[in-house]
Amino acid sequence: MLNPNHPDPERLSALASGDTDATADAALSDHVSTCEHCTALVEELGALRMSLADLPDLRPHRPLRLLPEVVEEPSRVDRLGGWARRIFAPVLTAGAALAMVGLIGTTVPALDNLGVGAGAEDAATEEGEVAATEEGEVAPDRAAPRADESGGAEPGALNYGGGAAAPTEAVMPLQSGRDLDGVTTGQLGDDADGERLSVETAAERSPWPMVLFTGVALMVAAALLRWILAPRSS
Amino acid sequence: MADPPAPTTGTRTQPLPDEAAVIARASGGDRMAFTQLMEHYQSACYGLAWRLLGDADQAADATQDAFIHAYRAMASYRGGIFRSWLLRITANASYDILRRQQRRPTSPLPDPEEGSPELPDLAAVNPVAEATRSEMYRHLERALARLPEDQRTAIVLCDVYGMDYNEVAAMTQSALGTVKSRIHRGRLRLRELLAEHRELFTR
Repeated sequence: MLNPNHPDPERLSALASGDTDATADAALSDHVSTCEHCTALVEELGALRMSLADLPDLRPHRPLRLLPEVVEEPSRVDRLGGWARRIFAPVLTAGAALAMVGLIGTTVPALDNLGVGAGAEDAATEEGEVAATEEGEVAPDRAAPRADESGGAEPGALNYGGGAAAPTEAVMPLQSGRDLDGVTTGQLGDDADGERLSVETAAERSPWPMVLFTGVALMVAAALLRWILAPRSS
Repeated sequence: MADPPAPTTGTRTQPLPDEAAVIARASGGDRMAFTQLMEHYQSACYGLAWRLLGDADQAADATQDAFIHAYRAMASYRGGIFRSWLLRITANASYDILRRQQRRPTSPLPDPEEGSPELPDLAAVNPVAEATRSEMYRHLERALARLPEDQRTAIVLCDVYGMDYNEVAAMTQSALGTVKSRIHRGRLRLRELLAEHRELFTR
């Protein structure tokens, strides 16, 4: 500021734009009203403001896309949808085939197990003794008489091993009562257990359940993908 | 500032005669209505972007970015002056580009002397008056381009496009006092730069 008697020019600019803090400043207004230099500066800055506010709009130097990428986004989804439609049938077929193979592979041993469990009551007793021998490693005093009573031990139980079976029976006293109700009841319960066990053991040693699972997963994935990417009218 | 943008024949784009109806249709997802709005206001948006960025291609990019943002925000548009709404979006899109470039806030636009815009003459109704106006605009644009970026941004948003201090402060993420100071210092600097052409700005 050349002349210390004049107010800060930025305050004069504030006055030119009508800022309330400047217009309410009595000292500033008083000075400007009596100072030709400051009055001229305020008017000049005001005129400059008006000229700036009059600057025209400018034409783009090249044509602009008015709906640029917004239009492309649905088309990308459409492309994905078309891709999903194309692979839907092959993937579904492959999944169904895999599932069928897996199902057959999984259910055939299970049917065999059912046949063994229902038809070989006498044999089951012998097998139960074998199971008891193995269970004996964990609970020798309980496993032997129980094996004689139940008569339902299965080849599956053999494979499963006594380590898990013995504690289960040890904490379930009802098991023996159920066994005493009759051969049929006992067999049904044991058959169900046996089937579950045989499936579990089959999962450890055979690929069929995994094949079945993979087939079903492929079918579900294909259906989901097609559903997600299907074009929808909004 | 190598590519000189052409001013429109008027000074500023006026609202469409049936703008409320067009906006309502665009808000409802009518793409033709949205395109009509963007076509109408593209010069307004491009002018703002060009003045903030000083580069024709970047200004075009910022304008198109703004159109995308506007398209997404169209359904949530809640009235007010549409032009101002769109210009705020454009200013944000332009400022995003500035931030991405991490330009020093005090740097002027490149080559302010040589590359300053050579604005073509306006469509002349009164040739003498239009020539004077055109001359004034040319000097103003050149002087604006020579301002430090922080001052130019504040002046462009506030004085050229009529945003208030609070809007400018929010947009530039600056304190209110800082914005005011930039505007006032920028005006005084502009006045110095235009000292030789003072007669053009006296009213």
